[in-house]
Amino acid sequence: MVKIGVFICHCGTNIGGVVDIDELVEFSSRLDDVVFATDYKYMCSDPGARVIKEAIEEHELTRVVVTSCSPRMHEPTFQSVIEDAGLNRFCLEMANIREHCSWVHKDKKEEATQKAKELVAMAVRKSKTLEPLKSFQKEVVHDALVIGAGIAGIQASLDLAEAGKKVYLVEREPSIGGRMAQLDKTFPTLDCSSCILTPKMMDVARHPNIELLTYSEVTEVDGSVGDFDVKVKRKPAYVDWDKCNGCGECAQVCRMKGRVEDEFNEGLGKRSAIYVPFQQAVPLKYTIDPNKCLMLLSGRCGESPPCQDVCELGAIDYEQEEEMMELNVGSIIVATGYDMMDPNGMYEYGYDHSPDIITNLEFERLISSSGPTSGEIRRISDGEEVKSVSFILCVGSRDQDLQEYCCRIGCMSALKHAYLLRDHLGDEVDLNICYTDIRSFGKGYEEFYRRIRDGNTTLIRGRPSEINVEKDGSINFNVFDTMTQKLLQVNSDLVVLVPALVPRKDSGELSQILRISEGTDGFFLESHPKLKPADTATDGVFIAGCCQGPKDIPDAVAQASGAASKAMGIISREELESDPMIAWVDEDICVGCGVCIDVCPYSARELNEVTGIAEVDEILCTGCGGCIAACPSNACIHKNMTKQQILRMIDEVI
Amino acid sequence: MDKIGLYLGCLIPTEQYAYEMALREVLPDLGIELVDVEGVACCGAPLRHINLSLTMYLSARNMAIFEKEGLDILAPCPYCHQALSEAKHVMENNPALKAKINSNLETEGLTYKGTIKHYHVLDLLHDVIGIDNIKEHVEEPLDANIAAHYGCHLIRPNDIPRPDDSENPQKLETLLKTIGAKSDYYKEKLDCCGAHIMVNESESALTKTGQKLQAVEEQGFDALTTLCPWGHRMFDAKQEDAAKVVGGSIDVPVLYYLQLLGIAMGKDQNTLGLTLNLSPTDKLSFIEEEI
Repeated sequence: MVKIGVFICHCGTNIGGVVDIDELVEFSSRLDDVVFATDYKYMCSDPGARVIKEAIEEHELTRVVVTSCSPRMHEPTFQSVIEDAGLNRFCLEMANIREHCSWVHKDKKEEATQKAKELVAMAVRKSKTLEPLKSFQKEVVHDALVIGAGIAGIQASLDLAEAGKKVYLVEREPSIGGRMAQLDKTFPTLDCSSCILTPKMMDVARHPNIELLTYSEVTEVDGSVGDFDVKVKRKPAYVDWDKCNGCGECAQVCRMKGRVEDEFNEGLGKRSAIYVPFQQAVPLKYTIDPNKCLMLLSGRCGESPPCQDVCELGAIDYEQEEEMMELNVGSIIVATGYDMMDPNGMYEYGYDHSPDIITNLEFERLISSSGPTSGEIRRISDGEEVKSVSFILCVGSRDQDLQEYCCRIGCMSALKHAYLLRDHLGDEVDLNICYTDIRSFGKGYEEFYRRIRDGNTTLIRGRPSEINVEKDGSINFNVFDTMTQKLLQVNSDLVVLVPALVPRKDSGELSQILRISEGTDGFFLESHPKLKPADTATDGVFIAGCCQGPKDIPDAVAQASGAASKAMGIISREELESDPMIAWVDEDICVGCGVCIDVCPYSARELNEVTGIAEVDEILCTGCGGCIAACPSNACIHKNMTKQQILRMIDEVI
Repeated sequence: MDKIGLYLGCLIPTEQYAYEMALREVLPDLGIELVDVEGVACCGAPLRHINLSLTMYLSARNMAIFEKEGLDILAPCPYCHQALSEAKHVMENNPALKAKINSNLETEGLTYKGTIKHYHVLDLLHDVIGIDNIKEHVEEPLDANIAAHYGCHLIRPNDIPRPDDSENPQKLETLLKTIGAKSDYYKEKLDCCGAHIMVNESESALTKTGQKLQAVEEQGFDALTTLCPWGHRMFDAKQEDAAKVVGGSIDVPVLYYLQLLGIAMGKDQNTLGLTLNLSPTDKLSFIEEEI
């Protein structure tokens, strides 16, 4: 005999202010098999939980229906409550009358109450046929994978390694370090970026628990939380890294020396075809660029390739091939960073029309003492002295046609650059910053802004409509200062554009491999914007740094440590409880056609050769429902979400 | 496409005859049969800031007439083209206004359904006829560096469909290269011709006209080419006046792109309306002295 209890939550005024609760309680109590219905202001609170527990005991309830918010919010809470009262946790059904009802129909109270009734009736109907299910345990792999070795990936790896876990750190470039390695100084404290980053890079290299896989890419991820199978492609460096000692003689003699655009210097410098991205690279091992090396492109390089001739260790190996590596990890942290928007997206800013119009990342390389000019600021076009520099903020950011969001680092990076320029070039240089709003939100940022504002930097609140490059190469622009209501004409020797930060151009591929979602802006989507900022919708996969959204270094590091501790929460356990809401096969119906095996993205389906029937691997199945939709004979069934249950729910409302 | 309905608007048939002559001469050779349609009226654009719904009505009515004939539209005047585009865009997004306009059109037995397309010379040449096709017809490539003038209506505003990008239009440059000419970038490319304020503020208008022509001249262009009768009128007919306002002499040949295309196709130059250009077109080596 089924005895159902219905518990209706007011959620303060969230539900109670719209839905007529008394009417709903009255309605619920009259539904078939409902022996008890009540309401409470906050069902998720301790007293609310007590109401449920006492009712279960008093009325000997066998099924519980909670009508409140989304099950994403509180299903686990109420499952624990009924479990405490002695019921199986899967004997709970929830009706969402907040997100699905009161929030969206707040101006139509009567209709909202009617809809709430229907939602409750559906939930009650389904609860009758809920089956008590049993969770089972699965073993956890204790190693972790971190994808991307910028500051966020480095921090997460070090945290996990320090906690005693083995970490595979995969980086697609030949060196770790990421964007932070390209920066000169960091705001607002003006620490030298590489001085604080390099020690961390060395820690990564030396740590016995970290296996560094540079020049490698993740190509395939199978399995689920606690037990992921990962395939990593190790690209050929055409240099035997076991032999290479990083002496660099090969780069000195390379026939392409000074002819290949240097990505690390944002194209402002040139390198050889055999290279390390920068001198503090970790690992300090040389790599041959397959798109530039004459030997790899055409099979010959003069009489004999000079790099091979000069390398006493015999490390050059043109025959090296790509290798695939298989890893088994319990958790994955994604920290793949950002791309900078191509400033040509705003054509009117003339990025292509003058070498003296650059991005702020190029400017970092220009002012860096390890950069192509050793930190000397000269006009890029003609090497002339720089007498005025203008910074244009929000290039493509906060722009409804391009990126609507704020880049969060542009304001502070321009203020920092203004400070450094004043320091390098003295009082004579004219500095202009065209801003939308100065957003100096971080710790110590406002104080830094005040220092610049009180100095003699011209802060103009306005965006230029276009930047003009004259025939003689000089640059000027008009900008309307909305503070003084004046149209200003600015001449500038150097214009620094601060473009929007955008997702990596191939982040869509990685999100498919990892089965994580992207937001409308293209950045990886966190589980909850406030409360689960490092989680993804896929259990066991976490995100950190700018791949989740633009952020500064302190925020990226904090999120990375957060992601690492979330990952520890999984890989430090011996076993994980597995969700029993998974697929199940009705052996009487299954004909063994195998369609489900092809569609399963988790390799959880297998054909039993003896019985000729498709089976479910309960450890691997995540309950995604792919096989249920695909099965032509309706033999695949989702536990506690069967076709019959759903049809009965529909019966209730039509 | 072979047949297209011609919608000339007001300025071309009353003043800018050269544009019409060139397009009637050149387009048939490129496989376009131009059809004149009776009964069309003003595009409505000049009334836009007085009575927007009247503008929409007039444009819808014009389109309904072409729709009845089953013809797509060629509107060589960007001002008309923009009015048609806006009316189409608004009616696609505002069914109530569309219904209201259609109820007015009913009195004439017309309905606007929105099934036909409308083109300007720019997208007709670049996207419909195609660069490769034009290239095949070029017999005498032009050796000159020609500044491109798009004007404003052809490319703006960017939230209704326009024939080219509003910040970085390139189709006219591509078309110039197709007929052998060079077309360097110049930063004044998108500057205003002045036509819009000519009635009220003629001195300011002519300053804009003069400054742009001076910029073209100073940067060593051989000529300026236009796609708009309004802009053409300013740069061509008003060139002398503009020179007086900006204080100097200006000597820039100004031609419609279709005139240049006709010359490159080896057409009889008499048929292209070149005598109607008031700017010093005879400076150009490819223009015959005696026309």
